[in-house]
Amino acid sequence: MNSISLNRATLGLPPALTRHAGLAAVLVLICLYLSVRSEVFATTPNLVNVLRQVAVMAVLAAGLTVLMAAGGLDFSLGSQVAVVVAVVARLLESGTHVVIASICGVLLGATFGLVNGLVVTVFKVAPFVTTLATATVLDGAALIAMKGQSVSAGGALTDLGTGELLGIPYLLLIAVLVIGGAAATLRWTRFGRDALAIGGNAVAARLGGIPVLRHTVMLYVANGMLAGLAGIMLLSRLGAASPGTAGLHLELTVVAAVVIGGTALHGGNATVAGTVLGVLLLGIVANGINLLQIDSFYQSVAVGVVLLVAAVVNQLRHRGPH
Amino acid sequence: MAERPPVGLAMTATGPGEPTARPRPAHPDATSSGRPATPALRMLGIVKSYGGATALAGVDFVARAGRVHALLGMNGAGKSTLVQILSGAVAADAGVIEVGGSRLTHQGPRAARAAGIATVYQRRSLVPALSVAENLLLGRLPRARGIVAWREIREQGATMLTDLGLDLDPQMPVRALGPGSQTLVEIARESHRGGRILILDEPTASLGGHDAALIHRLVRQLAANGTSVVYISHHLDEVIGLSDDVTVLRDGRVVLTAETASTSAADIVSAMVGTTVVNDRPPRPERPHVPVLRIDGLSRPGRIADLSVTVGAGEIVAVIGQAGDGHEELFPFLSGMRRGYDGTVTLRDERIRPHQVTRSLRSGLRCVTGDRLGTGLVPQLSVDENVTALHPTARRPLMRWGHLRSLAGEARSRFGVTTLQPNPPVSALSGGNQQKALLAKWLSGSSVSACLLEDPTGGVDIQAKAEIHTIIEDLADSGIAVLLASSDTDEVMRLADRVVVVRDGRAIAERSVDDLTHDALTHLLLGGSQ
Repeated sequence: MNSISLNRATLGLPPALTRHAGLAAVLVLICLYLSVRSEVFATTPNLVNVLRQVAVMAVLAAGLTVLMAAGGLDFSLGSQVAVVVAVVARLLESGTHVVIASICGVLLGATFGLVNGLVVTVFKVAPFVTTLATATVLDGAALIAMKGQSVSAGGALTDLGTGELLGIPYLLLIAVLVIGGAAATLRWTRFGRDALAIGGNAVAARLGGIPVLRHTVMLYVANGMLAGLAGIMLLSRLGAASPGTAGLHLELTVVAAVVIGGTALHGGNATVAGTVLGVLLLGIVANGINLLQIDSFYQSVAVGVVLLVAAVVNQLRHRGPH
Repeated sequence: MAERPPVGLAMTATGPGEPTARPRPAHPDATSSGRPATPALRMLGIVKSYGGATALAGVDFVARAGRVHALLGMNGAGKSTLVQILSGAVAADAGVIEVGGSRLTHQGPRAARAAGIATVYQRRSLVPALSVAENLLLGRLPRARGIVAWREIREQGATMLTDLGLDLDPQMPVRALGPGSQTLVEIARESHRGGRILILDEPTASLGGHDAALIHRLVRQLAANGTSVVYISHHLDEVIGLSDDVTVLRDGRVVLTAETASTSAADIVSAMVGTTVVNDRPPRPERPHVPVLRIDGLSRPGRIADLSVTVGAGEIVAVIGQAGDGHEELFPFLSGMRRGYDGTVTLRDERIRPHQVTRSLRSGLRCVTGDRLGTGLVPQLSVDENVTALHPTARRPLMRWGHLRSLAGEARSRFGVTTLQPNPPVSALSGGNQQKALLAKWLSGSSVSACLLEDPTGGVDIQAKAEIHTIIEDLADSGIAVLLASSDTDEVMRLADRVVVVRDGRAIAERSVDDLTHDALTHLLLGGSQ
């Protein structure tokens, strides 16, 4: 028995709650600190703004959590977003209908995911290498697509970017739906359980009749489609595609959020709740650095430190009774 | 470190595969008349127990310089514990170890090494990407002013190889060598590091005859140079051909120790097996032979050649071999885990292609691995999810956890999986319960018509073993064709109706269990001359 399971037993709480107690506590402490140091932090407009900003990251992180459950990894999601943003902006600029442009964006993401998935499964290239390579390609492709200059999306997506339903921004609603979908997939669908089985023991999964390769490709495609969706959301919020939007930098934040949430890189274990906490933590840290007027260079330092601490804590916890 | 003088004897390959051709030098130490007062190694009264189980109950063991001393025993007899104590990996509870007449005061791997005790385990400790010479000098690379002296490495490596009569290229990367040559390099390194007492743990296991002959020659060479070699092997003919002395362990005690020349294969076998083998085999019903599962001409180069076996409905057929032998190819072949086999599988007149896993599962073939956490179960997932993983009704697109729990309940009670918590991850179970969960996962469905069980009681306690044996008999009684791949003679004698013995990748005998005794089976397995 390690200390964590003992604590659970004594508290009598479901493991889903106690598992993230430490992360939640850190989040609460940071919130308290920020509300004391900044009058703006605890106001509704600021918090809604934070949630609007993390919505894109949340959509990507939710999908990545399921992929990582199956032992996969995708470093190219942020770069897929960058290309989708650029292409959809160009389509809108040239007068394409917003629905068609959006569908193109999602299909484009699906294509990227398909390429990643096929390289990983057919050629057995490590996901890290595959997606790092495609990320680099796509970062360049995004610049090519926008010819190195900002491309305005016009007003077609403004409704999505700024609109609200009962005071809740559309972007946040979409993110919540995707998160709920990811959590339900992992818990309630055969697809999600098979993903966990593949991540936990790919050989046993295959010998048990799970079509491991097909399943893995589908996960990469689903992540690509979510990257397409995230690209449209990001474009709706920013109003224009410009060089440096999204890309590898966004991706690193997304991976960091999932890892901080406690999902293991080697698969077999995943928690969407943890991912949500990780996303919120990184979003609030960024917001706080902004509000406290700390040099934004420190944001990267802060994300890195949080990631390192979370990784060490996870490692210590997994070491358990030995 | 002692540089050995070059030996003028040119070691040219004469006849592969014949370990018996040995020009045994009349060593001054070796004759029974003129034994020196101090043997190279003396172990006295070694005791070791784990928990309540006694692994070694007072073992005396003496090895002399210039001689090859074979150490034998069945699985669990205490060989590995003795070797671990000798190499310092494990501390003895009681007893004395003397090297060259002086008592070892410190225990531990460093102390053992400092005293000149070196061990070559079956698992290699070479660095595959480095050259032969670098591996030989690993950790002691010659340097000139802090910079690695490559020429020196080449020359020293080459000298070491010629000294031992080894025909290897010192600059060849180790990974380019065959398994036999890799073992040669490892033995040479340990000897060069000052191993005056060299423990070789089954160095020829899973090697072909030619490679084995090269290792035998090196071992004789080292003995001729004055090294004391402790040689662990399961191959009787190898032991008889190679060793000067032999010691047999059984249940943690020495039951035989003698000069090899003064004993015989039959003596060694009966010492290993013991006299009282209780046959607790319950009577099994006679039933007409209706072939269900047939494997024809299973082959894979270097591992198994042309194995054919048929299993009837309700029959238990065992394919038995020693650890590392061809019976271990059955699971990777039949389960579809590995490609690259020749051979056909037929299940009730239907041709099965093992690599199409889903289809062969649907046909009713189940292959249960001997490596439960490696290739059988998903350790992080719960017991319920693991044991229902192959149930068609549990494999709908949406999970029905209630249905799954009731399915799992049936499987658990039928296979006797007991847990303290309601539904823990399968990794939290004891070995015996994991093994039962493994059987439940693969065999609890109703559509099973034939199964392969690989080492079904590996690493479980005696009680769980007995329970699993009952489960397997129940499976057979329900009409399932059971193929058993095992290296455990007790288990095979207990369960099987028919036995196929595999040695060096070939089926050498097929017997009904009624025509077989425990001794005879062991004899076949160990390959003594009959």
